[in-house]
Amino acid sequence: MFKLDRKLIISASVATAVAVLSVGCMTGNTEPKGQTTVNGKPTIDGGVIYPVVNEKTGPYYVNPQAAIDAKKIYNGRAPTQKELEAWDVDLMPDGTGYPDGEGSVEEGEALYEAQCVSCHGDFGSGGGGYPALSKGNAYSLQKTLTNNRYRNADGDGPTRVFGSYWPVVSTLFWYIRDGMPHPMSKTLTADETYALTAYTLNLNEIEYEGEMIDYDFVLNREKMMKIELPNRHGFEPNIDGPTAPDDVRAYFANPNNFGGKKVNPAERCMKDCQDETAKVTRISGAGISEFFPPMATERDLPKTEESAGFNAKKSYEEACMMCHADTSMGAPAVGNASSWAVALEKGIDKVYANGINGINAMPPKGGAGLSDAEFKSVVDYMIDNSK
Amino acid sequence: MDNKKSKEEIDVNKRDFFRKTAALSVTALAGTSLISSNARADDPAITHHVPWGQVWGDPVTKNLYGVPSAYEHNVTRRYTKLLASGNYRASIAVTPIHESMGIITPNGLFFSRSHGGTAHVDPNQYRLMIHGLVEKPIVLTLEQLKKYPSVTRTHFIECPANGGQEWRGPQFNSVQFAKGFMSSAEWTGVYIKTILEDLGLKPEALWMLAEGSDNSEMGRTVPVEKVLDDAMLVWGQNGEALRPEQGYPVRLLLPGWEGNLCVKWLKRLEFATEPWYCKEETSKYTALKPSGKAIQHFYANEVNSTVTSPSPEIPWTNLNDGDIVEIEGLAWSGMGTITGVDLSFDGGNNYVEAKLKGLVLPKSWTRWSYMHTYKKGEVLLLTSRAMDDAGYIQPTVDEETKIMGVESVYHRNAVETWEVTATGEVNHVQIRS
Repeated sequence: MFKLDRKLIISASVATAVAVLSVGCMTGNTEPKGQTTVNGKPTIDGGVIYPVVNEKTGPYYVNPQAAIDAKKIYNGRAPTQKELEAWDVDLMPDGTGYPDGEGSVEEGEALYEAQCVSCHGDFGSGGGGYPALSKGNAYSLQKTLTNNRYRNADGDGPTRVFGSYWPVVSTLFWYIRDGMPHPMSKTLTADETYALTAYTLNLNEIEYEGEMIDYDFVLNREKMMKIELPNRHGFEPNIDGPTAPDDVRAYFANPNNFGGKKVNPAERCMKDCQDETAKVTRISGAGISEFFPPMATERDLPKTEESAGFNAKKSYEEACMMCHADTSMGAPAVGNASSWAVALEKGIDKVYANGINGINAMPPKGGAGLSDAEFKSVVDYMIDNSK
Repeated sequence: MDNKKSKEEIDVNKRDFFRKTAALSVTALAGTSLISSNARADDPAITHHVPWGQVWGDPVTKNLYGVPSAYEHNVTRRYTKLLASGNYRASIAVTPIHESMGIITPNGLFFSRSHGGTAHVDPNQYRLMIHGLVEKPIVLTLEQLKKYPSVTRTHFIECPANGGQEWRGPQFNSVQFAKGFMSSAEWTGVYIKTILEDLGLKPEALWMLAEGSDNSEMGRTVPVEKVLDDAMLVWGQNGEALRPEQGYPVRLLLPGWEGNLCVKWLKRLEFATEPWYCKEETSKYTALKPSGKAIQHFYANEVNSTVTSPSPEIPWTNLNDGDIVEIEGLAWSGMGTITGVDLSFDGGNNYVEAKLKGLVLPKSWTRWSYMHTYKKGEVLLLTSRAMDDAGYIQPTVDEETKIMGVESVYHRNAVETWEVTATGEVNHVQIRS
């Protein structure tokens, strides 16, 4: 008991000391406030920063030793030349990183038909949820970027594809080489990437030295540097050159540039704020409600089907539905009996085999990591739901 | 000794409890509640032994990494075909914010967005290269990276397309899909500025490329000013390693800025004088305005908020007249700290001040609520409106679309409205001209 009391007394005196201390430091140790300037200039994003004051940034304490001792850490090592060559392969609009090599529109078309058409559609027209690469002449489509259904709800919207929207060609080359084909990226050579870039330029009717890029056109580093896309100057703020950071900070300092709204909190509207023309707008039709899993908030036990490791319906939705939901991709569609009748002409075993090995645009097992038995049950599920 | 004492206390409390209960029962019997008291059926959940009360539970050897109760299986990320480009490898699964509590999203519910599928990186083969305009370029293993002094910060990450399907009008009758392209966590990692103290950033460096190691090689350009402010390389998420969906083992975290900029499965940082023009900062993540010009490098997610309770998912259909109910929601700003939230019952015509709850942190989810007495049959249009310490307030739908048009996809932060119908159903609506 004595011990306990003593402990209490000590705690109490510590508490008093802490209280005195915090009162004493109240003026000097409050949380640093955010500020909207850095070295007298607006922040680059229009927001606030919380500089470190009295070992705190905003509400967080920081260890002031960390910044000093970091200078001596250097735990790693310098990259080797070959490591830099392997990883430092980005492309920049000024020609930095454009590799040696060349490829023609004609070669690009052949590659496209073999490796790209199954997702991006004939002539880059898109499909199955994958982006279109072209919708026609880029120069006329670039003019559709001012089509805004804000003015005309039922009118045509803007067409944003590579030719009409992207600012520079280097982005396309870079992305094709490092991100495409989507299921097996980084498998294309520099020549093949030039060819596919050339083909995409051709599909968009992009001009080179005043002439439309035709079937015989061969793309290489020098030519790629000379091509200016129609929407090269379609973006704001300026991000190029030494003034860029100041251009960006000036842009985001003005709420009218980006739809922001600044107000003195004491003067914000609390009564009769809404425009008289504003009315309740509801979801048109059923809206989008096809959610997976379906929306539910019950606290019940999952159905055993869902808890099992493998589920044919789920596998179908994850791996097959993109191409087999309808016949637009040329594949037999779930719910479409006649399309399956064609596929089943040579028997179910042939359908299994084609699916397991891959057929036409379909990779083996549709790219799904399933056993043969699991894959077959997904096929059965699809056929059962098409009768 | 303490245990004994507390047991005595409990016994005393029990006696008190029974005395009070008895007194109450007498009052009840004497009062008007006699009929209802008798009519109240005994609850078998109380009067009968429950199954889990009479048998052994699981041994501690089971689920050495814990999982939620099986009864919570509906609290899950969800996806929809509309938001899938390709085979759910360039897609998004969104967070059930109607079920979220506090300002932390459990790691398994954190929204998941990738451009080439979730990569599974072997941490032993993980390498981070930092080069370009630095005095001492470096290659770090994961172990070496973690030797830099760490900091822990709570920040939301939001996809700038959160709400981006609804520029032309509401589409999702669901708060999970209308506003769940975001989550919040406590992140642990190192400030990049701390590493740069070591490496020495050259003064001519204006931009940093961050590149992922996944199959899409996701890259973005970041201005050096952000790198030298609060940009982090994070490996910890809510006290454990990042989940693969969040970029295990290391992702870039730019507090408050577009989720897409917070590059996952990070492999390389390069510093240069000019920006890069990556695919996801040209083709996408640029906001087209009515002028035909598109905003590029649109960094911060602006001040935003939504009601999360009630919601279409969890409506007020079970409320009785006079029930007191807490209207609750989230507010957040990538530009700073939330300073206040207003709530309207008439779709943004008149507002009252709601109350902030819990910790209010910079660039973090912030909880707010308002106590309401429900009137059976009332029709409400619940609109929340947040403010931040950068001086911003959420615009109305009309104010925002007047500047941005309706084709932008990204950075929509106009106020959201949730209609409570006479029967307590909740619908997503917009108030606009």
